[in-house]
Amino acid sequence: MDVYGSLINRLLLMHIADGIIDLRISIAANVVSVALIYVAGRKVAPDEIPKMGVTGAALFVASLVHIPFAGTSIHPGLLGIAGIILGKRAFPVIFTLLLFQSLVFQHGGLLSVGVNSLNMGAGAFVAWLIWRQRFIPEYLRAALAGFIGIMVPALLMAVEFHLSDYGRGIFYLLSVYVVAAALEGFLTLFVVKFFRKTKPGILSRTWKSHDD
Amino acid sequence: MKHSFIDRYSDLDSPVHRIDSRVKLLLVFLAIITVVSEPQARLFPFAFYGGLILVLILMSRLPLVFVLKRFMLLSPFILLAALFYPVSLLISKEAQLASIRDEPFRVALSIFCKAGLSILLLIWLISTEKFHNLLIGMRKLRMPRLIGIISALMYRYIFIFGDEALKTTRARESRTPGKLKMNKVKVYSNQMAMIFLRSWERSVMIYQSMLSRGFSGELPAMQRMAINRNDMLFFVSFVLGLLAIRFFVDPLVTGF
Repeated sequence: MDVYGSLINRLLLMHIADGIIDLRISIAANVVSVALIYVAGRKVAPDEIPKMGVTGAALFVASLVHIPFAGTSIHPGLLGIAGIILGKRAFPVIFTLLLFQSLVFQHGGLLSVGVNSLNMGAGAFVAWLIWRQRFIPEYLRAALAGFIGIMVPALLMAVEFHLSDYGRGIFYLLSVYVVAAALEGFLTLFVVKFFRKTKPGILSRTWKSHDD
Repeated sequence: MKHSFIDRYSDLDSPVHRIDSRVKLLLVFLAIITVVSEPQARLFPFAFYGGLILVLILMSRLPLVFVLKRFMLLSPFILLAALFYPVSLLISKEAQLASIRDEPFRVALSIFCKAGLSILLLIWLISTEKFHNLLIGMRKLRMPRLIGIISALMYRYIFIFGDEALKTTRARESRTPGKLKMNKVKVYSNQMAMIFLRSWERSVMIYQSMLSRGFSGELPAMQRMAINRNDMLFFVSFVLGLLAIRFFVDPLVTGF
């Protein structure tokens, strides 16, 4: 893939490396992340564990499929889909995925795994909350989940950069994310449509009924 | 398809390769904290940290070209993040162009050094230890059990699904040759959904085979780990080196 595209993806995927933001924020985020792993991982049934691991791997691989866009290509974040499929279990999966990426590919950082997980985990969590609002039409819910799944982490990242003395300029860059988030919204909508047609069980609220 | 690039150099034989994975993990974690905790705009200590990491790499007998290539591949990203600092200040008009040249650029360079050294440490870590051993090490260091199991599964299946992604890409390209005229996002979304579906179905089979092998929520480690005197010596000397740089390299004395 072209370097220009890689840089844009890097910017959009929000992998903060070590040393970029304030050390205190990184440490605090790690502490909160560990607490959230225990909360989100409570009462995990044994059959959920392989699904979490395998879905995490699929999430990573699917996010590597690059979509040609405006002369370059964009890797989707798939946080909305993570929220829809994994629900509250998305956080431990995202944390593990980011830890894996930082160790194996040096994407992001070891110390900033916590802050990256909180950003992306919050995106997936809010997407899940939106997905649960049954009074909204399903495809609109899906598109919103995809859109919010990108915007929430982008906003959190801007706040973290601001707290690390980067100034307010970072908030102006949020406008870049709106385009990516809109694309992600459409993508999530089409993925949900595909699931609804081929394997609706994957969209159900409990994992027990997914093996239909 | 082979994905040997991860454990490519972890089979080398060197004193560093023989060190317990827990010691290396702790060392890298402490080193990153020390490097990142350096005050902004202090540049001179980074040369010393770089020297210390170079010693580690040389001791590990890792090819320098490999490390440099890997670093160069990642450096544009951290450069971009570092340049965020002066750019963000300029956009928000919290600094004038004239003043941007001095202090903010110094801070940006400091950010680049911190991120760059952290990446070098991670390259060193993954090149001197098998990922599987790192997972066992992390579990011994009290990493949450759930994360340990998910990591082990992820490591096993990420490359299988990588091949799956290549297959679905080939299928998509064969069905839509040339430039896509139809709804581009929909075509790509369907491909991603297909990867998810296949993984989902496979996870059910994986669980059944795990159950048949007696899986009860824990992946047992066959390997016994032990920290010996050499490991401790290596750890203590490296930590002392880090502390010496952190607290005794005075930028005022050196003039930087």
